[in-house]
Amino acid sequence: MTTLGDYLTVSGILFAVGFSGVLLRRNVIIIFMALELMLNAANLSLVAFSRFRLGEDGLPSYNAQVLVFFIITVAAAEVAVGLAIIVALYRARRTTHVEDINSLKF
Amino acid sequence: MISAPYLEVAVLVLGTVILLIESFFSKFDRRYLGYAALVGLALIFLATFFIAPQSTMSSAPFWNFYSADATSLFFKRIALATTAGVIVMMFDFAALVSSGVQGATPQSGLGEFFALPLFTCAGLMWMASAIDFVLIFVSLELVTISFYVLVGFTRRNPASLEAAVKYLVLSAVATGFLVYGITWIFGATGETNLQKIATVLSGTGLEQNAALFGGVLVIIALGFKIAAVPFHIWVADVYQGAPTPVTAYLSVGSKAAGFIVLLRVLDPFLILPQMQTLLVAIAVLTLIYGNLAALPQTNVKRLLAYSSIAHAGYLLVAVVSFSGRAVAFYLVAYLLMTLLSFAVLILVSQPAGDQLESFAGLSQRSPFLAFAMLVAMASLAGVPFTAGFLGKFLVFDAAIATHHFGLVVVAIVTVGAGFYYYFKVVRAIYWDAPPASTDKIIVSPLTRVALIALIAGTFVLGVYPQPIFDALAR
Repeated sequence: MTTLGDYLTVSGILFAVGFSGVLLRRNVIIIFMALELMLNAANLSLVAFSRFRLGEDGLPSYNAQVLVFFIITVAAAEVAVGLAIIVALYRARRTTHVEDINSLKF
Repeated sequence: MISAPYLEVAVLVLGTVILLIESFFSKFDRRYLGYAALVGLALIFLATFFIAPQSTMSSAPFWNFYSADATSLFFKRIALATTAGVIVMMFDFAALVSSGVQGATPQSGLGEFFALPLFTCAGLMWMASAIDFVLIFVSLELVTISFYVLVGFTRRNPASLEAAVKYLVLSAVATGFLVYGITWIFGATGETNLQKIATVLSGTGLEQNAALFGGVLVIIALGFKIAAVPFHIWVADVYQGAPTPVTAYLSVGSKAAGFIVLLRVLDPFLILPQMQTLLVAIAVLTLIYGNLAALPQTNVKRLLAYSSIAHAGYLLVAVVSFSGRAVAFYLVAYLLMTLLSFAVLILVSQPAGDQLESFAGLSQRSPFLAFAMLVAMASLAGVPFTAGFLGKFLVFDAAIATHHFGLVVVAIVTVGAGFYYYFKVVRAIYWDAPPASTDKIIVSPLTRVALIALIAGTFVLGVYPQPIFDALAR
């Protein structure tokens, strides 16, 4: 029997993999994939919390499941804009590596 | 009497109509779209004074997400005023929008440039009213995603693109933290509505650690939005690279909305004592880092970026002392002086660039702009009889009343550092010799009116803050 803890562990691992991907990888596209992983980790645990915390009427709380749909939609919008910016960057610089994106002084 | 949700709908319709006109009609001056946006925003601003009180409205489930109290109306007005100010600045910036694009006319892209801030504005207004994590998340993302486009708008300019990529990655990380934090808060309390969360948190038999973990993640995400240390790494680069009106919008609009959400989210969580300690630590770090890092800057845009981090520190002091009044007044003062300084910066930097040298001898080239910048810098530093001074006074007053003496000492010492770097700009304007071959700077009538209004507002609120308090009390 899979418990709430199992789902939360998987989601925690997904979030950690995503976050460390953002910190360690050097290609903007891969960083962007890692960001999506972080959002999906949250989706997984939202659904798990909703399923395992039944209300008094025996039904799950649907607020969290609706939030999941909003997160999926917003993530899609973010990808649409984000990839457009990355493509524009590639056209201007011929690179998507973060080490090469350093014309502004840090 | 108007129902409050129509305000956001009106802003969205205005933005959509401008976008449609831009797409389907070709032969007309695109600046009329900007004037239309200004008139529309002014009308909606007036409409905020005729909002029906919330108690008379229906108790439909919608009102579990949305609140129309005096605070949210006040912050809606801040969002509308900021957007109008930014659109005025965009007129001055219009020449640079399509520079570097092959085969572009001076008008191309201008319609979108005027329409996008309206969508951001609708997002900021929803944030001001959001009392449920679902609406907080969606409106925050509306603001962030339209800012992605705005920051990278001058896409033939490599600095602007680079700023957009940095903003994109770091904001998306913040979004990830926000969503994961909301998840854990929901897991611990079973609710997404802030009032219901407050009820559950004050009860017993609760997974307190899970709620605390979620709360800390949400604070990290909001720390990104308000530019608090240690979540400030994006600020300097993005502010420097973005088109200047967008920088002004980022530093005022996004901060104001971040603070109202922070106030609302913290309200239930301040029952947990660890939260208080965490916020004090963030406030101290922000104050010290923002002010010290601004000291050696020679690029005015970057200097204003670090100054915006420093001001986030003073605002956090007000948040820690639970003074919603001080936060609101400080934000209004910050709006006036920041918009003023960025408006002058746009005019001065167009021929010469953002460096401090381009301000040299401004008092001889344009006494009016020199005076406007002097007022902005004096108010940012906190010279008495300006709105900036009174804002800091209210913040320190609230902090002393809640016995945060250490925080007040740090804040006052850092104000001293602030005087040094703000008056570095004033020294360049009034004492340095102007470069030999510079023309007079032309100020358009619209900008002149806006600048005079901002200067007058800075002085009036510096001696007579009562209108702000009245608007908050309603």
